[in-house]
Amino acid sequence: MAEIKWERDVQAALALAEKAHKPVYLDFWFEG
Amino acid sequence: MNTGPYSDEKVQNYLQEEFIPVKSECFWDKRTEAMKQFNISWTPTLLVLDATGREHHRVVGFVPSDDFLAHLKLGKGKIHFDRFRFADAFKEFTAVIEQHPTAGVVPEAVFFLGVAEYWNTHDPKGLRRAYDTLVARFPQSEWARRAQPYAQIPM
Repeated sequence: MAEIKWERDVQAALALAEKAHKPVYLDFWFEG
Repeated sequence: MNTGPYSDEKVQNYLQEEFIPVKSECFWDKRTEAMKQFNISWTPTLLVLDATGREHHRVVGFVPSDDFLAHLKLGKGKIHFDRFRFADAFKEFTAVIEQHPTAGVVPEAVFFLGVAEYWNTHDPKGLRRAYDTLVARFPQSEWARRAQPYAQIPM
């Protein structure tokens, strides 16, 4: 089963998105 | 560890292939800069952004796998729509409707499919088709009410 490679930094993800011509999926989560 | 919809292989593959996936942990006693930037007041909150950081789609609360995939495709469609790339938006909205027919966002996809068709062809019949579909399949949805003015468009 494939693992999702999560980015942790929004700005870094946006830079990657620009290069890859992809949108960003951003999950705000809380460790309750 | 991937949990909820992230444990579904279809979701994993789609997210990895079509998006740059990001997780941002929330702390309610000390809100992070990202929480402030995107006005996060509950979790989970799921956003679809373009590469400039502009938000195009938001989901608050848990969604199961099939709905989740439909939201991702709707979000991609909205990016195209907001950039006036209506043929590409049309494809994404169609994918939501055809590939996830029981998802909760289908009425919204039907509405925007009609608008994208109108902008793409300048033929108002697309709007009327959206209205007819919404009234027939989702008469209780808010999107059927939003499309009500298109009932006057002749076919």
